[in-house]
Amino acid sequence: MSTPATGDMTVPTMMTSDEPGPSRSAFSEREAVIEVRNASFAYPNSATVIKEFSLRVEPGRVIGLVGPSGCGKSTILSLLAGLRSPTEGEIVWSDEPQTEHRHPLTMLFQKDTLLPWLTAADNVDLHYRLTHSKDQTPERLHELFTMVGLGGAERAYPYELSGGMRRRTAFLTAVAPNPRVLLLDEPFSSLDEPTRVALHQDIFDIVKRMGIGVVLVTHDLAEAVSICDEVLILSARPATIVGSEEVPFGDSRNVQHLRESPQFLELYGRLWRQLTIQIEKSRAAQTAASAVVDTKRGRWGRLKSGR
Amino acid sequence: MAVSTDSIRRVRTNGGGPTLRVSKGSVDRSSLSRRSTILIQISIVTVLLVAWEFVPQIPGLQQLSPAFDPYFVSSPSRIAECIWGLFTGANGSVLIGPYLWLTVSSALVGTAIGMLLGSFAGLLLSNSESLNRILRPFLVAINATPRIALIPIIVLFFGASFETSVVSAVLVVFFVAFFNAFEGGRSVAPELVQNVQLLGGSRWQVVSRVRGPFALAWAFAVLPLAMTFGLISVVTAEILTGFKGIGSLLSIATSQANATLTFSLVIILAVVGVVTVTIADKIRDRVLHWWGK
Repeated sequence: MSTPATGDMTVPTMMTSDEPGPSRSAFSEREAVIEVRNASFAYPNSATVIKEFSLRVEPGRVIGLVGPSGCGKSTILSLLAGLRSPTEGEIVWSDEPQTEHRHPLTMLFQKDTLLPWLTAADNVDLHYRLTHSKDQTPERLHELFTMVGLGGAERAYPYELSGGMRRRTAFLTAVAPNPRVLLLDEPFSSLDEPTRVALHQDIFDIVKRMGIGVVLVTHDLAEAVSICDEVLILSARPATIVGSEEVPFGDSRNVQHLRESPQFLELYGRLWRQLTIQIEKSRAAQTAASAVVDTKRGRWGRLKSGR
Repeated sequence: MAVSTDSIRRVRTNGGGPTLRVSKGSVDRSSLSRRSTILIQISIVTVLLVAWEFVPQIPGLQQLSPAFDPYFVSSPSRIAECIWGLFTGANGSVLIGPYLWLTVSSALVGTAIGMLLGSFAGLLLSNSESLNRILRPFLVAINATPRIALIPIIVLFFGASFETSVVSAVLVVFFVAFFNAFEGGRSVAPELVQNVQLLGGSRWQVVSRVRGPFALAWAFAVLPLAMTFGLISVVTAEILTGFKGIGSLLSIATSQANATLTFSLVIILAVVGVVTVTIADKIRDRVLHWWGK
């Protein structure tokens, strides 16, 4: 696995809403930022978790991963993040020349990663300082906070923010280093529906504007259809891609209105049917595995009791 | 006392029939005003003091128990007079100032050193699994040993001195801070560490940015408790060594069976304890204002 160098080059220039960013089509012509090629993964002395998994992450494109619970979605993210290495296959980063300093990859976790003793602005600044070895300017910080509707909340501590505001701040910490790839591990599962939809819109607009390649792991199909360009259905363990749906809503979608459209409901239904099949297979496999364990326990019990 | 209809939840128990459960905090329990609370507290103290002053004077009670004998329990009026004497030197009483200063200063110094060393050791071990495996059994063994039993050994090194009082406080406070800092460092969510690593943070940055502040916050949270333990340790050391301090005065008072002086010193110590713990509480709340809201 090759990882691009992160040497300090220039101050990242995050595009504001006034500056039109590169269009989706411009990004799609570029090669993948990171590519997973036939990767498999198994924990030591354990069954295979991921089998022959392939994925291309392109700039400004959002890919959703949905699958039965425990199928290995988060493990795929940890492979992409380099926290684990595939036991087979490879993960390759593009070696395209860097014209501006962009951090290779950041991740937004399901759990809160804001440091409680720092203000919202200091949390965002810390993420920038770790990757760029210098502070964000106050103007840039204000611009970032305004971008997600948190203007004026910069000096607030995490405990002073609502759940939605904390998630927005956490999202800012993930985009402040100007990453090429952003991994989202069920980041909105703790939020109520209206807050989640509002956040979807902000996130979708920002990653498109900044040209960030995104991999989203979620249990929420509506969320996947709302903000993804492509949704991949994963099988039960070992996880492998069993289905894929292109999301045809383009780059200037209105997430809130989208949910009322027949196209949305139709796509949702197709994904739901595919996912249900995998969930049922997963349940059947779990039942079979429990039966084997019960049989072994039964034998052991009989041995112990001398029968 | 008003109970809103919303506050009552009907719940079905395993026993069958529906029962009423009042949800927590829904009843207006704050109807007792701060003023009333203080008035009740003052009344309790007044009743106790009056009983303490006059019950032992009832003829015949002294034969029932030493608890009614003024020789053993003294009286609030005599104790007040003694405390006045201790602070003013009235009636040729010894002045408590220098004793109090030595006790409080050695407790403060010992607590500060114990907190620093304990926090640092806790952070170090929480950050290194191998170091934790090697050293933790020793630390647990030392913690299980009554520290008072170590004071004679400390006396061998430092004699009956200020240093002995300080080291006694350090020995006790160290473990209070250590175990909290250790747990604080270990309680850090793996996502926080992974996040810093993904951002290219070094091992040192993980410690300085994430694990360290968590460990220090946990250690700081027990500052009031540490302060109490520091004071107890110093007084115990002074009783055992006879080094000048409130402890040595207590030792003299009990050896002379002087109940009035003993009670006076205990009350002074209690007031000193309350003041130091209150100050420690305020400092903790100020430093950790971001926590526990």
